[in-house]
Amino acid sequence: MSEQEIVFDNVSKFYGEVLGVNRVDLRIPPGITSLVGPNGSGKTTLMNLMTGLIHPDAGAIQVRGISPFAPERLMRILGYATQYDAGPRGATGFDFVFTGLLLFGYARGDAERKAWQAIERVGLTGAANRKVAGYSKGMRQRIRLAQSIAHDPEVLILDEPLNGLDPLVRAETIALFRDFAASGRHVILSSHVLQEVDVFSDQVVLIANGMIVAEGQIRSVREEIHEHPSQFLLHCRQASRVASLLFAEDHVSEIKLTPDGQGLLVMTRNREAFSAALEKIALGGLDIDGLVPADENVDALYEYLIGGGR
Amino acid sequence: MTPLQQILTIARLELGRVFFSRRSFWVYLIALFPTVIFLGHAIEAKLRGQRWTNNGRIVKAEAINRLENGMDPEEVLRQLGNPVTDFTRTRRARRDDNPDEKQPETRRYMMYFDGKRRIDLRFEDGKLVERQMRELLNFEDDRRVYGGMFQFFYLRLGVFFGCLGIFINLFRGEMLDRSLHFWFLAPVKREVLLLGKYCAGLAAAGLIFGGGALLSFLAMVLPQDPAEVQAYWQTVGVSHGFWYVAAAVLGCVGYGSVFLAAGLLLRNPIIPAIVMLVWESINGFLPDVMQKLSVLHYLQSICPVPAPLPNNVPPLLKMLLAPAEPAPVPVAVLGLLALTAAVLFAAMQSVRRLEINYGAE
Repeated sequence: MSEQEIVFDNVSKFYGEVLGVNRVDLRIPPGITSLVGPNGSGKTTLMNLMTGLIHPDAGAIQVRGISPFAPERLMRILGYATQYDAGPRGATGFDFVFTGLLLFGYARGDAERKAWQAIERVGLTGAANRKVAGYSKGMRQRIRLAQSIAHDPEVLILDEPLNGLDPLVRAETIALFRDFAASGRHVILSSHVLQEVDVFSDQVVLIANGMIVAEGQIRSVREEIHEHPSQFLLHCRQASRVASLLFAEDHVSEIKLTPDGQGLLVMTRNREAFSAALEKIALGGLDIDGLVPADENVDALYEYLIGGGR
Repeated sequence: MTPLQQILTIARLELGRVFFSRRSFWVYLIALFPTVIFLGHAIEAKLRGQRWTNNGRIVKAEAINRLENGMDPEEVLRQLGNPVTDFTRTRRARRDDNPDEKQPETRRYMMYFDGKRRIDLRFEDGKLVERQMRELLNFEDDRRVYGGMFQFFYLRLGVFFGCLGIFINLFRGEMLDRSLHFWFLAPVKREVLLLGKYCAGLAAAGLIFGGGALLSFLAMVLPQDPAEVQAYWQTVGVSHGFWYVAAAVLGCVGYGSVFLAAGLLLRNPIIPAIVMLVWESINGFLPDVMQKLSVLHYLQSICPVPAPLPNNVPPLLKMLLAPAEPAPVPVAVLGLLALTAAVLFAAMQSVRRLEINYGAE
């Protein structure tokens, strides 16, 4: 199985005294995997470790059975669209992709054909002969994506690939990721917005302060929320009164009055007991105008898991 | 794709960037500086000779030879006609019989031209006391000057700093431009990448400085008297030209490897430049074994004409400029190549561990 997985075995990386990632044990199966965490949490460090751009201080990494210390083998099966904007100075979009392919040993004709195919796939054909330096942020994202997919890799790693893309291009790009993953390949991407990636990711790895906070299929990560306190927004006219009644319940750990005084933000460790308590309050004659789960989306889970990480 | 093909591909891709890097544009100026100087010297001598010839002030060599010390200026003027320049200078000089007392002393200088040489005459107290003849272009002098310029300026400073500018930027420059990852993400061994970049740097530096050496050598030789030039080509000229170019190229081979390695290890290029410059300068009085760790030691052994070191050079400078005991040419070439191989091997070990860390730059 590990020949088809990306494996981090107790990997740590420090930049001097600054922690990059700490004791990461991770197995990433094929499919779309999103590394999610706030800025500086260690997402790019994990990606750079996988691709050999940096080396671990401890532990070992294998990408489909290949060590990142063997770029001559690894880069044949891996494409990496980094966050770094720069390419060869003065290069056009086509040059950027084409030059990379020459290093793979393709004959010029083949390299040219593959470069145009990749450029077409990211929808940049019209701008391919313009200099990369003159590209917009979104175009630079796309040309880096073209360069990373041009040699048809088995492992595609993308650092914040959806940044700066307009909705249409974003949808096309996500479709491209799905295409890649559907053929049993790895697509690993990073984002600091969980909502952005949870709809199309097969796996998600939540990372904060250089440590893996949660990992697994998006559904199983979501289920973790049920084992942890839930937050509800309660709309009611007699908010203070309702708050005092709820405080008497054992499962309620925190209550905050909303700024308009017409609502409460309630943290409970037991949804069922909370629901029963509300019913009792309503039957007692206090009006409850509305109840909205405040942490139903996965960002709430993420907030919960990483705590003060953001 | 074999490693050799990969090296050639990388070198080809990198070559344009090395040749036209804005960061190393000044390298061309350094490489062409000696050519400009020798060409300027030749043009100036030709123009001066032409001007004096056009003014009709050429005197015959026999007339010059007839001059004798003790002649007064009028006699000289009568025999040779008006000089090209004629001026008088008065200064206060110590008296021979009483050194504490000074008296005015008048000196008159005349300069004639015989079509090839300038003849400077000096008169003291109205008598001819000195006669100096100097060719406007003196091949022997110029060859000696070229030998000194080549060793003291071209190798020690030109090739040295040129290679610093070219080779240190092969990795460090890409780190500053945040583009090194582009190469690191290619399916090539880091060692192969290093050799490819080294070859690109060497091709550029070799062409620039080898070409610069050849051009400056030709700029020194070709304007000379055609008969002398022909004789020179028929004897040692070709060999001299070859070894000057070879020394410049081998300088790029040696210094290139050192600065490529330094670019991998150090962020500040000033530090390796100073350390290397000091090391090369004190090489002359290091023990024999240590001398072999100097690029300049081997290069000086290859140079065809020993660099002149005039007696009036200050002692400290003389110590720094004095060359080490030269090695036989084959030993020098092989020694330099061995030194280069050792440095490149160390650089290969280093590049395997090199990480992309643009934030630290």
